[in-house]
Amino acid sequence: MKENIYEPRLVTIKNIRDEAEGIKTFTLTFNDPALNAAFDYRPGQFGEVTIFGVGEAPISITSSPVNKGYLELTVAAVGDVTRALHLKRVGDVIGFRGPYGNGFPFAEVYNKDILFVAGGIGLAPLRSLINQMFAERDKFGKICILYGCRYPRLLCFTEELGKWSDLSDSEVLLTCDTNPESDWQGNIGVVGSLLPKIEVDLPNTVAFVCGPPVMIHFVIQDLLKMGFKGDQIITTMERRMECGLGKCGHCNIGVKYVCQDGPVFSYQQLQELGEKI
Amino acid sequence: MKILAKTKLVDFLKSLQGDSEVLVPLKRNGDLLFGTFDPEQPDIELKGKTAIPPKEYVFPQREKLFTFETNGNKVDIRDQASPPKRIIWGIRPCDLQGIKTLDTIYLSGYSDNYYQARRQNLILLGLNCNECCDAGFCHSLQTGPFAKDGFDLMFTDLGDKFLVAIGTEAGKALIDKSRGLFTEAMASDERKADELERSSWATFERRVDAKVAKARLPKFWNDACWAKDSASCILCGGCNWVCPTCHCFNVEDTATGARTSVRIKYWDSCQFGGFTQMAAENTRQTQAERYRQRVFHKMSYTPDKYDGALGCTGCGRCIEVCPGEIDFTVTLGRITQK
Repeated sequence: MKENIYEPRLVTIKNIRDEAEGIKTFTLTFNDPALNAAFDYRPGQFGEVTIFGVGEAPISITSSPVNKGYLELTVAAVGDVTRALHLKRVGDVIGFRGPYGNGFPFAEVYNKDILFVAGGIGLAPLRSLINQMFAERDKFGKICILYGCRYPRLLCFTEELGKWSDLSDSEVLLTCDTNPESDWQGNIGVVGSLLPKIEVDLPNTVAFVCGPPVMIHFVIQDLLKMGFKGDQIITTMERRMECGLGKCGHCNIGVKYVCQDGPVFSYQQLQELGEKI
Repeated sequence: MKILAKTKLVDFLKSLQGDSEVLVPLKRNGDLLFGTFDPEQPDIELKGKTAIPPKEYVFPQREKLFTFETNGNKVDIRDQASPPKRIIWGIRPCDLQGIKTLDTIYLSGYSDNYYQARRQNLILLGLNCNECCDAGFCHSLQTGPFAKDGFDLMFTDLGDKFLVAIGTEAGKALIDKSRGLFTEAMASDERKADELERSSWATFERRVDAKVAKARLPKFWNDACWAKDSASCILCGGCNWVCPTCHCFNVEDTATGARTSVRIKYWDSCQFGGFTQMAAENTRQTQAERYRQRVFHKMSYTPDKYDGALGCTGCGRCIEVCPGEIDFTVTLGRITQK
């Protein structure tokens, strides 16, 4: 019998890193060595994670395909599956199937300046793309990363943010919406408040925006006001999903299924789809 | 074309039993439903359509996808056993179209293993409709009242006999197996069937202009009709449960023991608020948006995505079943007439 499209593959948790408050990064390898060696994906794609006895949830891949032999997921404990995942330990076996979805454009944005605007855990899928771009640094212009969180303890990938800012022709700006413990020396305000602080070569720039829907909504409005065109803004859609395979119907918007045709869309495509972000 | 005398129908159905379960329309407690053919009680109903379509034989209301058993870091994953062989006799043209649409959705792109296994083991013996059923409008979608394809064999009730059209090799093999029961059809039999088709067409009242509706729908995205026409919805999901093409499902894991669990796939309804509920928000919060999604999905998205596949077969069951008397042909009427 041919491969069962719904069957989770067994993966072992090799490492767990406390990323931020309520957020952990899990390093996984497939138990089947052949599958582990062959597994490939594009930044922006996701997989369905199974916690046996609990359920399945779609999670974007945060590692980069340039790093072979493992994959990483950065997960906030917000639902049944993600809370159960947070209780797992190194060595535990869980399920994974994928990758699904279209992923971010890559070769299509060669030679462009790249502007990343991320909110909260929305940096996780962008991190996959950022690391792939830095691995092929000469193919892109200036790389600027704007990252905001609700408060400082929610900032993810802080070590890498420092590394990225040290690389040539790149810029990293951070902000927090609030500073409840007065331990933050940086910018205070929503991530859109960082936009006036950067210089943008508008016709040659592509913006990648990822975060909670409300943040995406306002950042897109800001970018449009700056003069960005709809096809220069790339974002991701969040929708309820069960199958990831275009069958269960939950993520349907117009003729598109976010799990298969997305989750990455340009703002121009989203406008054609009609429904809200 | 072949002829089967009505008195020979039971013998034919008996010939199909053996390694297959034979399903026929039966009236049970007032409801017309498909049930297992019993030669001892061969009271097959030849009029009307079943209250629910036979889609459950390819897409069951609840289906076990996997059994998981964990033992330390060993995980045993088992999927379900092969489905039984089934032959449905008396499936109506609207429901043949329903299965054609489900085939397109479930077998294109990633092919759903569970659907495929059930579908491969299913033979469809249809029965044309000599008159319109309650709320049916298949004629205006060209899915009925007489089927053109999608069947293994197609029966037309000529009074004391059936005219039998052969659709596939599998269907032909069933006739060959009980050759003694069938005779060759004459030109007069086929003429009679043509007359019955014409007279059946004349019995339809409700109609939908699918082409015009599809073309005009985008202009009605923000129209007041969605809120107005869905105001009496009581969120029962009935329209989805009885629809031959509704294919949306949910997946849920349930622990069955300390180390064992099952993963179930079960029907879901786009009319429920929870259908689009995510951790932080819901992208379709009002019934107007959910009703609009249903109508657009049927009339526009499905044909656009799947090369003209019909999202509505014109069976009319969603209209018959709705406690709120919501009639989506009324909504489409507003759109095509405005």
